[in-house]
Amino acid sequence: MFTHIFIYRFKCLIRDKQLVFWTLLFPILLGTFFYMAFSNLNNEETFQPIDAAVVNDSAYQHDTQFKSVMENVSKGKDRLFHLKVASNREEAEKWLKKDKIKGFFTSGEVIKLTVKDTGISQSIMKSFADQYRTSSSMVTSIVKENPKALQNGLLNDLGNHRTYVKEVTGGSAEPNNVLNYFYSLIAMACLYGSFWGMKEVTDIQADITDRAARVNMAPVHKLKAFLAGSCAALVILFVEILILLAYLRFGLNISFGNRAGFVVLTALVGSVLGVSFGAFISALVKKGEGLKIALLMVATMAGSFLSGMMFMNMKYLIAAYVPPLAWLNPVNLLTDAFYALYYYDSLHRYALNLGMMFLFIIFFCTGTYLIVRRRKYASI
Amino acid sequence: MIIHVKNLVKRFGELVALDHLSLDIKEGEIFGLLGPNGSGKSTAINCILSLLSYDKGEVEIFGKKMTPDAYDIKRDIGIVMQNVAVFEELTVYENIDYFCGLYVRNKAERKRLVEEALAFVELEDFRKFYPKKLSGGLLRRLNIACGIAHKPKLIILDEPTVAVDPQSRNKILEGIERLNAQGATIVYTSHYMEEVEQLCTRIVIMDKGRVIASGTKEELKAMITLGEKITVETFSIDEEQLIKLRELPGIVSVEHVDKRLIIKSGKGTNNLETVLDFLKTHEIGFGRIYSELPTLNDVFLEITGKQLRD
Repeated sequence: MFTHIFIYRFKCLIRDKQLVFWTLLFPILLGTFFYMAFSNLNNEETFQPIDAAVVNDSAYQHDTQFKSVMENVSKGKDRLFHLKVASNREEAEKWLKKDKIKGFFTSGEVIKLTVKDTGISQSIMKSFADQYRTSSSMVTSIVKENPKALQNGLLNDLGNHRTYVKEVTGGSAEPNNVLNYFYSLIAMACLYGSFWGMKEVTDIQADITDRAARVNMAPVHKLKAFLAGSCAALVILFVEILILLAYLRFGLNISFGNRAGFVVLTALVGSVLGVSFGAFISALVKKGEGLKIALLMVATMAGSFLSGMMFMNMKYLIAAYVPPLAWLNPVNLLTDAFYALYYYDSLHRYALNLGMMFLFIIFFCTGTYLIVRRRKYASI
Repeated sequence: MIIHVKNLVKRFGELVALDHLSLDIKEGEIFGLLGPNGSGKSTAINCILSLLSYDKGEVEIFGKKMTPDAYDIKRDIGIVMQNVAVFEELTVYENIDYFCGLYVRNKAERKRLVEEALAFVELEDFRKFYPKKLSGGLLRRLNIACGIAHKPKLIILDEPTVAVDPQSRNKILEGIERLNAQGATIVYTSHYMEEVEQLCTRIVIMDKGRVIASGTKEELKAMITLGEKITVETFSIDEEQLIKLRELPGIVSVEHVDKRLIIKSGKGTNNLETVLDFLKTHEIGFGRIYSELPTLNDVFLEITGKQLRD
């Protein structure tokens, strides 16, 4: 009997094109749009060498110290400048005018920096020039007043930077601002699975549909029929989420860290959460299907917004100012579980998220059971 | 008794939907539950089936108390809802198979029963069709097939012919008679008196949640004073002649409306002859003339003072 109901519920659900669109195709489309919109977000935050120039006049030729420093900061993978050498000042000014460089240095008694605009690159160039001037002047003064200092390793000490703040990273993964968008998208897709749960309750409550009244008249325990239908809904949603995960991972190259097993487990728990959430809301709200869909849509979208799907900082604002809301938002729990798996080496935070999701699932299932188990209706 | 209902009371707030309803339905009969919309027919059915809770009363089916988890009773009941209750995502065959499968586990037997149900409602050619591709009449037939495929002993049909074309309606009514001939007890609710009159061996007329009359159609008609209704198409009849007509023996009432003379007579055999003699004697010209026996609507009208379809 269970298998019979499962198979037919599976057919009913999978043939519902609207539901399949919203729970599978829509998240895939949205993920693609996210990818197109956010793919350069991380690149923009990565430091790019500054296009700079130096005037190769006689002063520069003779200032071996400055020449050496400029050559050193303009080579290697982490170089500061993408340095061009201008044969004279006019050529450098021409480059500056044509925006080929952000600014140029001129040697002399004092190192001069010429820029056209203001901006981050120009500020970095100024800081560099200031620091060079300070260090150079300090060495010159010390050498004049205490030449022995050179023998005591002064130059080595000047080259060393010591930091007094110890940096501790949460995990071995690279921080990535964009990932949160995709993780909250998966969470949203899981919660869209609530539509499947809603459909199952709708088709089991005799006071909502005539089909359900007919099922209620059959010699089958109502909860058995509901369980079989919910399993069908869960299988469909879980497969959809796996397809979405595969598309994000292999199609859009979104990283989920190295713990694939836990990622799949999270997808499964998220699917159960989505179906049970929809079933609970559908059982609770006695009005028409339209209102139920609207409620589920609003709850899911609001949860997604608060978990940072539309505005990433929202997640951090909620965590900072209204932390209970972060723990009471199922979408956020799922999003955070994925992020914890990606970023943290420890599973502590992930386990907390998972634990809260289990609590929600127990709450939704118990609530649904208590409402749906009623065997006679006051009105039909 | 297949169904025994005693003193059933169902209230929706202040409204008394069923007012001490009592019914006894015998095995093998086609039992008609007739009443206008809102008279409590569907509420009675839903209470009998334990879908609806009720405030007071007893319901027994097959001699056992009916409860929501009385699965042994439910196994032998087939229900055809007032509204079409099928899944849009399943084909005709799959819909029947799904509902039949809730009663019959054996696959081979189920296949046979589904084929029989398809043949019964003449939907064999539509087995792969989805419900949205079916006409209203075909949908109603599918709705019936889903309710009867498992060969129940008791079939409850709640207004199965609402919004159905005459051809499909006839097929449905014929099908119900065949089901009864095969041994099923039928409970048929409707507000179409012609259907109930044509089909049912025993009838209960309901109004405001109460049984106002019950019996065979002959017994019901015998309850009222009206014996015959004679309609005469006539253009000219004066008030004096009308008064004389009313005074004739056996005549209960006379009305002249829209160039029609409607004469209601009491029980007797020569009423038409008496009226014709009167028309000839008084040289009253007339066109067509026809006589009707009382209908269930007349029964309802005489008992409640209102039309069945009000």
